[in-house]
Amino acid sequence: MNKLFLSSVAIAVIASATGALSQTKLSRNEIINSLQGAQQEVNISADELQKAAIENVEKYPGANSPQQLPLAAKLASLRQFNLEITFHFDSATIAPASYETVGLIADALHTPYLQGQTFFIVGHTDAKGTREYNLELSIKRAEAVRDALVTTFQVPAEYLFAVGLGEEQLRDPSNPDAAVNRRVQLINLGYK
Amino acid sequence: MKYLRVCATTVVLMMSVSLASAQTVGFADAIKILAASCGNDIQAHCQSASLANNGITNCLEKNQSRISQKCNADRLVVIGLIEARLAAQSEVAKICNRDMAQYCKGVKPGAGHMLRCLLKAQPSVSAKCNEAIDLAGYR
Repeated sequence: MNKLFLSSVAIAVIASATGALSQTKLSRNEIINSLQGAQQEVNISADELQKAAIENVEKYPGANSPQQLPLAAKLASLRQFNLEITFHFDSATIAPASYETVGLIADALHTPYLQGQTFFIVGHTDAKGTREYNLELSIKRAEAVRDALVTTFQVPAEYLFAVGLGEEQLRDPSNPDAAVNRRVQLINLGYK
Repeated sequence: MKYLRVCATTVVLMMSVSLASAQTVGFADAIKILAASCGNDIQAHCQSASLANNGITNCLEKNQSRISQKCNADRLVVIGLIEARLAAQSEVAKICNRDMAQYCKGVKPGAGHMLRCLLKAQPSVSAKCNEAIDLAGYR
């Protein structure tokens, strides 16, 4: 009984510590847990996805995209995680406030749990501004994150693909200008 | 009760061992030091420098006569921490060579399969290999 009591106290202490942290801070393991467990390799290439976004802007012009990307449903079924990364205004330079987040992605991708799997790094904007401009900016921002990961933090380059979807795939289509739409999405495409 | 005391001693021992060997930190913990100690200097002198290709640390080095003392000290600390973690990661295959041969027979190399096998085999794996895995941040 004594033993039982002790262990439950220990568990309570651990639980309260992680509870306090998880409210405010993103952790490496949160990223790992959301991304691991990919099934078979999925047959979508980064080029194909990028092309779909460019075509969506060309085929269905207008202030806002009238429809989701054709690949949206397929992508939604994959293991993924959304992150907030702050860039300087109108630029693809990652702000110091987000260095830690990029470092956490690197920490997660280096672990054996995620090694050997292919990931898309997908940049998204909100719907303010033109769709062409947003597409361009999101491509540059996704590339900036990928470049930091594969150079400064030496995540193997062959597993990481940058894609920009601009405002073509809003997270909250009913609030197109909302901040929740601005995000970097990691998607696990599985083992090669 | 005796059992408990033995347990507690083991836990304390394990903790001290892991503290002694915890000589590397993750990339996030390293790079956040740069943001905290050099945030103002980056804004003033390296606004358009990129986090990729060590662009920020290179820019800070170029401007070392203009940046704060704290940033100058910590930019070197951060570079050292990142290098230490990368070195620890590249050591694992060598240090765990024998353990892989012994406990991961038939596991195909590459794509992290061997490392995942070593993580599962932790209770049997040698102390040296387990330490290397900890230092690499693989657990």
